[in-house]
Amino acid sequence: MKKWGEVALGVVTSIGGFLEVGSIATSTQGGAEFGYQLAWALLLGTLSLAFLMEMTGRLAAVSKRTYGDLLRERFGYRFFLLPLAAVLVVSFLVLASEIGGVSIALQMATGIPFPWWAIPVALLGWVLLWRGTFGIVEKGTALLGLVAVVFAAGALKLHPAWPAVGRGLLPSAPSENRARYWYLAVSILGASISPYLYLFYSAGAVEDEWTIEHLGVNRVTAGLGNLFGGTLAVAALVAAALVLAPRGIRVDRYEQIAMVLASPLGRAGFVLFLATLCVTCFGSTLEIVLAMAYMLAQGFGWPWSENLKPGKDARFTTSYTVVILLAALPIAIGMNPLALTNLSMVATAASLPVTVVPLLVLMNDGDILLKHTNGWLSNGALVIIALLSIVLLVAALPLQLLGGG
Amino acid sequence: MGAVHLAHDVLDAQLVDRLQEKIGRVDALLLELEAGQPPRVATIVIGSAARAERVGHWFVALRRGWRAMLGRREEHLSRIPFDKVRRIGDTIELDVEEQSLESEHLERWLKEHVVCRIPGAEGDRK
Repeated sequence: MKKWGEVALGVVTSIGGFLEVGSIATSTQGGAEFGYQLAWALLLGTLSLAFLMEMTGRLAAVSKRTYGDLLRERFGYRFFLLPLAAVLVVSFLVLASEIGGVSIALQMATGIPFPWWAIPVALLGWVLLWRGTFGIVEKGTALLGLVAVVFAAGALKLHPAWPAVGRGLLPSAPSENRARYWYLAVSILGASISPYLYLFYSAGAVEDEWTIEHLGVNRVTAGLGNLFGGTLAVAALVAAALVLAPRGIRVDRYEQIAMVLASPLGRAGFVLFLATLCVTCFGSTLEIVLAMAYMLAQGFGWPWSENLKPGKDARFTTSYTVVILLAALPIAIGMNPLALTNLSMVATAASLPVTVVPLLVLMNDGDILLKHTNGWLSNGALVIIALLSIVLLVAALPLQLLGGG
Repeated sequence: MGAVHLAHDVLDAQLVDRLQEKIGRVDALLLELEAGQPPRVATIVIGSAARAERVGHWFVALRRGWRAMLGRREEHLSRIPFDKVRRIGDTIELDVEEQSLESEHLERWLKEHVVCRIPGAEGDRK
């Protein structure tokens, strides 16, 4: 019985964790500009993330060590600096974008300009991290994040042509605006496959004291949770395709994304959009800050746990304190949150090789995983994801220049 | 007891003290060379200077410049004799106390001067 409770909570957690500033922005941009044609990028991103989370979760459950620990232990300090630097830089950009998402939602709700909200949002997040346990941070924000199902309601109400949506799930080349199309495809992939997600997930497995007994829970959580999360992102894309594309609106401000729900669901849709943006971005804010502090603490061997009082792991708590306050600054000085989000998603996509490729080694190491090393399916998927990550790295900068505007 | 690979199983491993508190990782391992004696693994080093040397000369130079700019002189390295090792497993347990380690200087300083000045920091578990 307890197991199923854990499964349910795990699934809810990944649904709530999936939709955040990046996926909301890039899915609706994709829908507004290319209809259903980019749905395949969401499917590919979701599947990739599900595999990566299952693997890092299995790694932690079997070895009692996090992915961050093993990156340092098995590859040495010199190599470790590479994923560390990539994760810190990219996560910082995404974190600032999430704080921007919360701030924009609050601006739309109150009329007070978003820069004023950045510091209060960061402080509130910090208080929750300081006082809250891992369970509160993980489950509390995830349960609130369920409000995101409003995207599914919006999409259904708009009566999409399902065969056309289905065709979008298969990749196809666009007839025009090629650079923009591939730019958005890369952004959507970057928004779906974020390193902080699997780093946080593997640290969470250790925080929750997972053992080999949890391998089933892990598989269901990673699979079903991401499937539901990905479905909501597809719903956002579909709704944008039906609301924004016919009106010729290209998303360049968050206010336009609100129409995606306000149009089919009226005032309630507008309010629920604000709630979704606010809650999911806030939840991701906490997860990213923790993921960054975990990575530092694990790499350098400091004490760390969200369940310890801050005085017991001073370097860890100082890290998240500094990070969350610094990340509020770009928004507090008025940087455009949507532009920052788009930049962060492409940067995320480019950063993937350094956190994906090492898994190929770790997941096949019998000293770490005993008899739970990767089978042919996981290895096949991982090779494809690794190749994809290298393509994303190579394509990111040229596409940012050609299709970012 | 089987053989232990120094580079694979000891270097970069998580270190814990007598009370199982995390006290950093094995940042360097030193061999002792004495005339007439075979070389032996003598010292575990913990500290950022040891880590910097592993990255390369350019990193050591960068670190030196950075520290000069901040006016830092003390190194806060811990050099622990290898015979303090009690157990080698997923973590390496040392017969030392966190409080006595020079490499834990920053942890202690932050705890005392920053973290514990904020309400709600003291105690064991939340």
